[in-house]
Amino acid sequence: MHAGGVIHIVKRHRYGQHHSEQFDTEKMHKSLVAACLSSGVPEGHAESIGRRITEDVVEWLQDKPEVTSDDLRRTATQYLRTHHPDAAYLYEHHRSTL
Amino acid sequence: MDIPSSLAIVALAALIHASFQLSISVLTLLSGHAIGAKRSQAKVLRLSWGFIAGVGVMTLLLLSFISLLLLHMFGPIEVPLVVWAMACGLVFGIGIAVWLFYYRKEKGTKLWIPRLFADHLTSRSKATKHSAEAFSLGLTSVIGELIFVIPSMLVSALVLLQLPSEWQLIGIALYVLISLLGLLIVVSLIGSGHSLSKIQKWREDNKGFLQFAAGSALVALGFFVYISKVVAEVSGAI
Repeated sequence: MHAGGVIHIVKRHRYGQHHSEQFDTEKMHKSLVAACLSSGVPEGHAESIGRRITEDVVEWLQDKPEVTSDDLRRTATQYLRTHHPDAAYLYEHHRSTL
Repeated sequence: MDIPSSLAIVALAALIHASFQLSISVLTLLSGHAIGAKRSQAKVLRLSWGFIAGVGVMTLLLLSFISLLLLHMFGPIEVPLVVWAMACGLVFGIGIAVWLFYYRKEKGTKLWIPRLFADHLTSRSKATKHSAEAFSLGLTSVIGELIFVIPSMLVSALVLLQLPSEWQLIGIALYVLISLLGLLIVVSLIGSGHSLSKIQKWREDNKGFLQFAAGSALVALGFFVYISKVVAEVSGAI
C-alpha cells in the first residue's frame, strides 16, 4: 500500500459532483461474492474467488493513493473474468441493468 | 367488434405490455441482491412472487381506472370515434418512440426512464427484504413505465367497454395475466436454477429485437384498431 496507508475511492455522482470514501476490502469482497452467487457459483467457491480477487485488487492499489470507483470496478472485473466470466459480466454491468 | 376480436385485441395489447422491460429489470435486480445476500431459494422466490403480485395489482388498478374514467366521460353510450382515432394515434406515436428511444444507446439494458426514478428503483431493490416491500416495489415499477404501457391499456379499456359486463371482467383478467408473462418466465427460470448472469446476458444480446418487436407491435395494433373501428364505421356510415 502507498505511504499514507489509506486509499481513497472517488465516486462520481450525477450532475458532475464527486465525493471520496476510504477503500473498504470487506465491501469489495461482499460485492464480488454476490456477483458469483448470482451467477450460480456455490457459496464456498464464491467466497474463495471473492477473497482472491480482493487480494489482487489490494495489490494493484499498492502505489495508488486515489482511484475512481469506475477504475476499481474495471480492474476487479478483469481479475474476475479469468475466474468466472459470467460473474464478471454481472459485476461489470450491475449498474447498467435499469 | 365481436367478442373474439375484442379479446384478441386485448391479448395483443397485453402481450405488448409484457414485452416492456422495466419490471423485468427490477425483478432481476431484486433477485440478484437477494441471492447475493445469501438468502434461501424459498425467500428469493417469495420476494419475486411478492413483486409480481404488486405488478399485477397495479396493472389491474390502472386498467380498471382508465376504463372507469372513460365510462364517466362518455357514459354507457358508444365512445366517440374521435376518441378511438386519438387513442390509435397515441399507440402509433408511442410505437415509433419505442423504436427510437426505448433503450439507451450504451452497454447494458438501461431504459429511457427518468434517471432519478431508475436510481430510486435500484436502491429500493437492494433494500427490499420482505415480501410486502417487494409488493410495493412491484406497484412502483409499473408507474415507472407508464408512458410506454398507457397506449396498450387505453386501447384495451376502449375495447373492454364495448363488451358485456361479464366479458369485461374476463378481459381485464386476461390482460393482467398476459401482461405478467415476461415476469412469470423470469421467475420460473430463477426458480429452476438458471443463473441471473445468463438471463441478463440474453436480455442484453436481444434488446434490439425486443425494442423492435414492441415498437412494431404497437404500430400494428394502432393500425389494426384504426382500420377495424374508425375506418370500418366511417365507411359503413357512408
